[in-house]
Amino acid sequence: MNATLLGFIALAVLLILLLAWAVRLPKKAFHSVDEVLSALSEKRHYARLPQILQCLREEDTDFLSTRGRDELVTRLRRERKRIALRYLSQLEQEYQLLLEASRILARTAPEVSAIDELQRFRLSVRFVLWCRYLRWRLQLGLQPWDVFGILSDMEGEMTLHLEVAAARIGERAALTAK
Amino acid sequence: MDVPLILRNLFWAVTLLLEIGLLILLLRQGRHRSYPVFLSYILAVILQSIVVAASYRMYGSTSWHSYFIAWGTQSVVISARWIAVIEIAKNALSPYSGIWALAQRILLVVSLGVIAYSLLSSHNKWTLMILTADRAVELCIAAFIVSMLIFLRYYLVPISPMDRLLAVGFCLYSCFSVINDSLYEHWRLKMGQLWNYLGMLPFLATLLVWIDAVWRYSEVSAEEGRVALTPGAYGELSQKLNSQLEALNNRLDHLFRSGDKQP
Repeated sequence: MNATLLGFIALAVLLILLLAWAVRLPKKAFHSVDEVLSALSEKRHYARLPQILQCLREEDTDFLSTRGRDELVTRLRRERKRIALRYLSQLEQEYQLLLEASRILARTAPEVSAIDELQRFRLSVRFVLWCRYLRWRLQLGLQPWDVFGILSDMEGEMTLHLEVAAARIGERAALTAK
Repeated sequence: MDVPLILRNLFWAVTLLLEIGLLILLLRQGRHRSYPVFLSYILAVILQSIVVAASYRMYGSTSWHSYFIAWGTQSVVISARWIAVIEIAKNALSPYSGIWALAQRILLVVSLGVIAYSLLSSHNKWTLMILTADRAVELCIAAFIVSMLIFLRYYLVPISPMDRLLAVGFCLYSCFSVINDSLYEHWRLKMGQLWNYLGMLPFLATLLVWIDAVWRYSEVSAEEGRVALTPGAYGELSQKLNSQLEALNNRLDHLFRSGDKQP
């Protein structure tokens, strides 16, 4: 059997696998606007960011090191790293929540810009990849500052897109109401 | 009459009965209003079975007459299938005008891309031209459905269980047709009658999936999860989103930028 035919069969099998993935019900789906609003009103985990950052800093445990409590320092850092990793997971979940909300916004919009949507999709993929990278760095005990800075830039871009989309929808909604 | 021939006729009879059963079920439940193209497709399949059976009886299954009649009616059936799949996409996405417009463009590009790839990558003899075209269209339909379902999942668009099962049936049938066509192209001299069975089995399974979908799910469930925002809610949702994202952005930016300066 030649490579072309094998390619076709592989493509068909791949499509069956993708179909199996795509027909599963999404984990979290908002059924009403109220659900979206209440989810967005919940307290965000990123409010705990200063404490997390503080506990990741080397100097936070310097005092113990100078006192020769190396074992305690190691345990403390290990536990703090674990907390930071959990925090990162929560941050990812929050980002996903905001993305879901932005998709609902797009779903209800009478007009959607393909470029904006593609850009948001790219942003979300990048965010996921950076989160993976950050997790890896945390696990290796490397300082994550610069990576967090990049994530922050991505958030900024996304906010801008949402603002433009929201303004456009608002204008249209106002016109429809009139 | 030899055993393979009896088996083929038996398969045909069962398939035809199921097709007629599905048609009656669709008509009795009044689905001809919401799924007119799907109903037409089932009707086309039934007519094809009758016409091909008649041609086999008149001209024999190996004659050129039967060959042209079988593939000619197949082109009609595939076209009807294509339109039925588009009908499912329209049912699910058209209430959301913004993303429906976007989906139309994406699905068109995906479909044309798959057809072009399939036709260009097949260096067949002219005798296999119809088989190549058939495979290209089947692959295109499968890719269209998978892209549509991924699109629906991405935008969390609720799809009725019936639409979902109809799409799954169409997609599985198309994927197995691609595999079957590819196997036939390689082993066409050895496969012969077996190819017919391999083609009929997935269609039989698909028919059972569709009958189950039409039998189990009522029309009402299609409307259930659809979200309709009032203009006032648009504004509220937009503001909430913006404030959340801005807060996240500002906090991260401020804290991590200052964190950069740390040793």
